[in-house]
Amino acid sequence: MEYLILAIGDVFGGTTLLWVAVGVTLGYVLGAIPGLGKAIGVAVSIPLTFYLEPVSALGLLIGIAKGSAAGSAVSAILLNTPGEPSSAPTAFDGYPLARQGKAQKALKMGLFASVIGDFVSTITLILLAAPLARYALLIGPVELCAILVFSLVFIGGLSGNSLTKGLIAACFGIFFATVGLETETFVPRLTFGYLELEDGISLVPMAIGMLAVAEMIVQAGNLDTLDRETAELRDSSDPRDRRVTREEWRRCAPVIARGTFIGAAIGILPGLGASVGSFLSYGETRRVSATPEKYGTGMIEGVAAAESADNAVVPSSLIPLFALGIPGSVIAAILIAAFILHGLTPGPLMFQQQPRMVAGLYVSMLCASAILLVIGLLGQRLFSQIVHVPLRLVIPGVLLFCCVGSYMETGSIFSIFIMLGFALIGFVARKLDFSFVTFLIGFVIGPKLELSFRQSLQLLKHDASNLLGHPIALVFLFAALVFVVMSGRSSVTRRVQMPPTTQQH
Amino acid sequence: MKCFERRAMLGLAASITIASVGLLPDLAAAQDYPTKPVTMLVGYGAGGQTDLVARGAARVLAEQLGQPVNVVNKPGAGGAVAARELTQAAPDGYTILFHSNSVVNSAPFIMDQVNFTPDDFDYAGMITAYQTGLVAHVDAPFDDLKGFIAWAKENPNFAYAALSPEARMYMDTLAEANGLEPNAVPVQSGGEMITALLGKQVIAAFSGGIHYRYPDELKTISATTTFRHPSAPDVASIEEDGYPIGMDTRTTLFLPKGTPREVLERISHALSAAADDADFKKVTDGANIPIMYMNLDEARAEIEATYAKHKGILTDGS
Repeated sequence: MEYLILAIGDVFGGTTLLWVAVGVTLGYVLGAIPGLGKAIGVAVSIPLTFYLEPVSALGLLIGIAKGSAAGSAVSAILLNTPGEPSSAPTAFDGYPLARQGKAQKALKMGLFASVIGDFVSTITLILLAAPLARYALLIGPVELCAILVFSLVFIGGLSGNSLTKGLIAACFGIFFATVGLETETFVPRLTFGYLELEDGISLVPMAIGMLAVAEMIVQAGNLDTLDRETAELRDSSDPRDRRVTREEWRRCAPVIARGTFIGAAIGILPGLGASVGSFLSYGETRRVSATPEKYGTGMIEGVAAAESADNAVVPSSLIPLFALGIPGSVIAAILIAAFILHGLTPGPLMFQQQPRMVAGLYVSMLCASAILLVIGLLGQRLFSQIVHVPLRLVIPGVLLFCCVGSYMETGSIFSIFIMLGFALIGFVARKLDFSFVTFLIGFVIGPKLELSFRQSLQLLKHDASNLLGHPIALVFLFAALVFVVMSGRSSVTRRVQMPPTTQQH
Repeated sequence: MKCFERRAMLGLAASITIASVGLLPDLAAAQDYPTKPVTMLVGYGAGGQTDLVARGAARVLAEQLGQPVNVVNKPGAGGAVAARELTQAAPDGYTILFHSNSVVNSAPFIMDQVNFTPDDFDYAGMITAYQTGLVAHVDAPFDDLKGFIAWAKENPNFAYAALSPEARMYMDTLAEANGLEPNAVPVQSGGEMITALLGKQVIAAFSGGIHYRYPDELKTISATTTFRHPSAPDVASIEEDGYPIGMDTRTTLFLPKGTPREVLERISHALSAAADDADFKKVTDGANIPIMYMNLDEARAEIEATYAKHKGILTDGS
C-alpha cells in the first residue's frame, strides 16, 4: 500500500504520465486510421524505450495497446473498415448506426464500453494477477482445444444472413490458414516455393486487404449513392441520437459486463487473443437477445459487446506476464523485451524485488484508462467529421495507409501483394454476400484448434479415455454439445411456427 | 642511364595513375568506411530475444563507427528471408545482417527451400551464444541426462515439447540409442513451451535458452551445445554424456559476399567493443545470454566447422 502511494507520486510527479498519454494518443490515432494499427506504434516506440525510464517505457507500450484497441472502433463505425480483426464485429452494427446519422452515439458507446472493459480488466489484473495466473496454468492444450470447440458454437451468430454461406467462408478461412510450415513435421504446405509463405499468411496484411481495401473498393463502386447520402447526411438534430440515452445504458450494462468478463477470461488464457474475445462476446450477445434478427442493422448493444471484450483482453493478457513471466499476447512479448532491457525480470520476483516499480506500472495503467476516455472524447469530435467528407477524398487516403500498414509488419513488398490478393477475395465475398467475419474466425481459430488438437492427441497418448483426467475440458465439450442441441431445437420450433415463405436466418 | 631512369619514372608514374584511377576510389571508400548510415537487418520480429541483442549491438556499433546504425526487422522463415535479401545487397558494408548463424549452419539441412553455404556470405564476427538445452520442471524426478533416460525407460509415451526440428532430432537420437518411446508435443513459440513446462503438461522440453528466466521453476538437464552453459556451469553438455550431437548457434554479423577486408575489420573491431560495453552487458545479462565474442577469422572458421558438423548430424539423423 505504501508503495502505491509512493508510486502515485512517481507517476504524477515525473514525466511518466506524459509518456502514457503519448502512448494512448498514438495508439488511438493509429487504431482509428484504417490500415494502421498497434504494430506500427510498437515499431516506432521500441527504439524509444531504450532511452526512457522503465515505468515510462512500459507505460508508453501499454498505452499504445490500450489506445489502439479502442481506436480501431472508430474506423469500424465510420468507414466500415475495422482497424484490427478484433473490431470486425463492431462494424456490424456501428456502421449502420453511422449511416443513420447516429455516428456520435455509436462512437460514444464504443468508447464507454472500451474504457469500462479496460478499467475493470485492469483492476482484475491488479487484484488477482498472482492467483489467477496459477489457475490459468491448469488450462493446457487439452482444455484449450475444448474451449476453442466451445467458441466455435457461437460462430453462427456472426455468419450474417446465411448460415451455410457463413460456414463456407469459415472453411475458406481455415484453408488459407493451412499455408506455411506444418507444426509437427515442419513440412511446408502450399508455399509454392515462396520463402515468405513459410511462416504462413500474415494476419495483418490479410485482414487489411479483406476488411479495409475490399470495403473501399465496394464503396468506390457505390460512390454516387454513398456521396448523395453523405451530402444529405446531417447529424440527427435530435440530441438523443448524439449521446447514449439512459434507456440504452440500461440495455447495454449487462452486455458490457458480459463482454468484460469474456474479454478478461480470454485474455488470461495464453494464446487465444483479442479477436476470439470480441467474436465470442458479440456472438453470445446476439444469441441471448430477444431479437437476434435485428443485429447487423444498427443495434447499439452489438457495439458495446464487441468493444468491451476487445479492450478487456489487453490488461488481462498481461496477467500471465506479471504473475509468471509468460507472454500472453504479442504486446506482452514486446513488454518482456522492454523489461529485460531495463534489467528487470518479469515474473513473480518482480513483486518482491521491484514493488515500487510494479505499483508505478499499475498506477500508470489506471491513468491510461482515464486518459483513454479523454482522448477518445476529444478525438471523436474530430474523427466523426470524416462521414461528411466525400468518399473520393477518403478512399485514396485509406488505400495509402493500408499499403503502409501492410508493409510495416514484415518490411516487405510481398505483404502488399498478400493484401491485394485478399482484397480481391474480400470484394468477391462482399458481392456474393459471404461473411468475411466467419472467414476471419476460421483463419484465426482454425490453426489454433489444429495445433491444440494435435498437442492433445500426444498428451492424451491417443486414448480418448484419458480425457477423464481433464474435467475442465469435459465441461466445455459438454457445454458445446448442449448449446448445439439447444439452438438446433429452437431453430426447428421457429421454423415450424414461421410461415414457410419467410426467409430463414 | 638517364634514359632508362626516365623510362622507369614514366612507367612508375603511369602505373600510379592507373592504380589511382582503377583502384584508389575503391580503397578510399573502404578506408573511409562508414561515410553514411548503416542498415542492420534482423531476421526476427521486433521485441524478440535476438532483436533485443541486435539493438543493443547496433547502439555500440553506431558509437564505434560514428554513423547511425538503423535496425530493420525482416522476419520470415527463421531469418532466411532476411539472409536472402542480404545476398542481393551491395557488398559495401552499408547493409549488414544480425542473426543467428543457424540460418546457414542448420536451416539448409532442415528447410527444402534454403540452401545457403558458408561461402554465400562474409562474416564480421559473432557476439553471443544461445544456451540451448534439455529442460525440465524443478519437480521432475531427475537432474541429469542419465537420470532422464533411466526415468524415460520406465515411462513410455512421456510427452515432451518440441519447438524445432532440431529438438525432435535430439530426442529421436536419445530414443533410438536407449529404446525410449517419446511423444512429441508441437509448440510454436518459446512462451508456449514455457507454459507447457510450468503447467506440467510436458515432462521436458528443448529450450533456446529462454528457460533461464525461471530459475525457481525450471532446471537444465543437459546442455545441447559443445560447451557448458555459463548460466548453469554444473550441468554437463550432451557431448560429455557421450552423444556427439551438440550444435552451437551464435548471433553473427553477416555481410554480403565480397565485402572488402578493411570494412570487415572495421566492423569486427567495432563489435568487439560490445563485449566490454556496460549497457550491452546489462541487456544480455537480463536475458541470460552469454557474450562470447569471435572476430572475423574465428567467425569464418566457426561457421565452416559447424556447417560440416551439423550437416552430418541433421542429414543422417532424419
